[in-house]
Amino acid sequence: MIGLGHFLTLSAILFGCGVATILTKRNAIGILMGVELILNAANVNLVAFNRFSWAGEAVAQGGAPAVDGLMFAMFIIVLAAAEAAIALAIFLNFYNHFSTIDIERARMLSG
Amino acid sequence: MTPANLLVLATALPLIGFAIVVLLSSRIGSPRFWPWFTVGMVGASLAASTVAYVTFMSGDGAVEVHAWNWLQIGSHADGSPRYLQIGPYVDKMTVLLFAMVTLISTLVHIYSIGYMEGDSRKNRFMAYMQLFTFSMLGIVLGNSLLQLFIFWELVGISSYLLIGFWYEKRGPQLACKKAFVMNRIGDMGFLVGMGILFVKFGGDLVLRAADREGGGVFGSLLLNYPGGAIDALHAGANEWWLTIAGIGLFMGAMGKSAQFPLQTWLPDAMEGPTPVSSIVHSATMVAAGVYLTARIFPLLTPAAHLFVATIGLITLVMAALIACVQTDIKRVLAYSTLSQLGYMVLALGAGSYTFAMFHLVTHAFFKCCLFQCSGSVIHAAHHEQEMTSYGGLMKKMPITAACFAICTLAIAGASIPYTPFGLSGYYSKDGIIAATVNYGDALAAAGMNWGAVFYWGPTIIAYVTAFYMTRAFVLTFLGKPRDKHLYDHAHEVNWTMWAPQVVLAAFAIFIGWGFFKVGANLHDTAPAMAQPFEEREMEHGYHFVHGALLHGFGWMLSIALGFVIYINGFTISSRIAAIPGIAQIHWWLYNKMGFDGLYDIIVVNMFKALAGLMGAFDKLVVDGIVNGAAWVGRELGFLIGGFDYRYVDGTVRGSGRAAVRLGSILHRTQAGNIRMYVLILFVGVFTALAIATPFALGWVWFGLPQH
Repeated sequence: MIGLGHFLTLSAILFGCGVATILTKRNAIGILMGVELILNAANVNLVAFNRFSWAGEAVAQGGAPAVDGLMFAMFIIVLAAAEAAIALAIFLNFYNHFSTIDIERARMLSG
Repeated sequence: MTPANLLVLATALPLIGFAIVVLLSSRIGSPRFWPWFTVGMVGASLAASTVAYVTFMSGDGAVEVHAWNWLQIGSHADGSPRYLQIGPYVDKMTVLLFAMVTLISTLVHIYSIGYMEGDSRKNRFMAYMQLFTFSMLGIVLGNSLLQLFIFWELVGISSYLLIGFWYEKRGPQLACKKAFVMNRIGDMGFLVGMGILFVKFGGDLVLRAADREGGGVFGSLLLNYPGGAIDALHAGANEWWLTIAGIGLFMGAMGKSAQFPLQTWLPDAMEGPTPVSSIVHSATMVAAGVYLTARIFPLLTPAAHLFVATIGLITLVMAALIACVQTDIKRVLAYSTLSQLGYMVLALGAGSYTFAMFHLVTHAFFKCCLFQCSGSVIHAAHHEQEMTSYGGLMKKMPITAACFAICTLAIAGASIPYTPFGLSGYYSKDGIIAATVNYGDALAAAGMNWGAVFYWGPTIIAYVTAFYMTRAFVLTFLGKPRDKHLYDHAHEVNWTMWAPQVVLAAFAIFIGWGFFKVGANLHDTAPAMAQPFEEREMEHGYHFVHGALLHGFGWMLSIALGFVIYINGFTISSRIAAIPGIAQIHWWLYNKMGFDGLYDIIVVNMFKALAGLMGAFDKLVVDGIVNGAAWVGRELGFLIGGFDYRYVDGTVRGSGRAAVRLGSILHRTQAGNIRMYVLILFVGVFTALAIATPFALGWVWFGLPQH
């Protein structure tokens, strides 16, 4: 039977992939994808916790199922969409500025 | 004007003269004017003194005492405030000495004009003479020992200036220092004596007129004590203190009057100009010591009297013997002065206040004259002072020779045999010998049989005096010239020099007559306290003197002896001096009995060694401590400085540097590299998780509700 642990494992793998992507990719779009992976890892976590845990009485004992995790997941999806839009806008400007989207070039915040 | 006012005026005039000459003489007036100006000042002083003398002597003889409170020092036993007082004190001795000092000073001033002619600094010399006169008059006028001491020191400094007047020469430089230092030794005793009187006896050091009938010629003095008369002090446990105080005060006199053993400065003082010798040796400096002893006379206990008499005796014998072999004419006179001062001091010790002062007065005139005559000879002989180069000067300088001869007779005590007439020295010296006869007898009566030395000494030395003075006269003025060149250039001095000599010689003849008519009741003239002998006893002394000196031809014998030996120069005397034994004595006497050498060996070397020791102590111990302390301080400074530099500064600088280094490390993280930021973010998160996990697990196991 698939339990919470499996989901969490999946989430951790996703998260690890996302992090690895961010750390290794020079392409800004790639990094954005890594970010999406991390966000999805979080979503998986939220949905899984929602499924396996209850705010009050268990469903089997007649408790109402909680929807908090689902709601958070929905928020994150919206957030991801908005973030992607903004990130793409940034990247377009970045490209206009440096004629590349290699983030190695983006060192203007260096201290 | 009262005598006191006149005498204050007479004292002030030379001081004013001194100030004016010092301030103005280099700016205005002709060079000839200023010496005569000083003569005018001291002459005015003489006039005032003479008027005071006449007024006082013709008055009722009441002693005038004026005392003004000067400083308050503590309080008496009864609670009344205690003062140091100043003011004039006038009695017969004061007016007499004023007349004498101002007269001699005036004559010496006139003489100086001739003697110092051609000296570029003669105005300064005259100014010093004024200061000297002022100081001496201040001593005589002083009404307290303290005031006396102040002027005493002024005399010291004036004599220092005068003896060292030719400061460009080595001799005067040394002589003036020696005079000054030797006097300081005596002054130490003076101070101790005053201290004892002031503290131990509670005296205010002020002279008071004696409370008794008939003051005598010189009046009598007592030091004032709140507890009563001085007689009470002489008895009992205070006697030793009083003896010490008396001897202490007398030590001051020993310094000034050059008594044994402080006599060595006086012959050396011959380095000064002759007018200085003349005045120092007669009326002023050396007289001050005798004057002081006379003033403190009532204080002296019998033991102190014996001390004074002994010192006087030693001095008079010693100096007379040395005078017999000296060849420097001024040195002969200097030792003669020492010897005569010995007479005065011996007389004071023997209790004959009157004759001591009388001899002081007569001696002042003939000794001043003798010095002036010697000065004239030296002046004429181009500053040659050795009698070996003189001889036969009588033909060239008749006036000087006559004056010298008169004064030689006066100091020799010449008189007409079997008659009571003689020159001034005859009266005073015979009086002294008479007193010493009584003193010696009194000592013998008290079981001290050696008391006879006190009259045999001065009696024999009276003959020696006549001998060495004849020697000086014969060698200088008679016989054949020993230095042809010198003889050819010699000439009689001008009137400013011979006139004072003549006046002084005249005084040397008759000054004795005015005071003592021979055969008069001499001892009536002395204050009772100063005349311890009964009338009958005094006559005994006189009989002795009559036998020994007056009726005899003693003075003629020694004069004849001196004449025979020295008429042909040194031929006979050098033959005598060559006899073995006598030669050694001659050498010893010629070298002043070796006192200078003795003092060099004992005192000077001792003090040098002591100074060396002190110097070494200073260098090793004191400097060592100081340097050690400095070293410790320095090292401690280095230590603290190092600590400060390393640790305090190091902390500050280190923290600054650490901040900089940390900044430079952290600054690398701000590389602007997004992936780096992310990596740091994740590493941070994982690290936080790794730390938080154990807590979280614990919480899960133990605290989380189980489903």
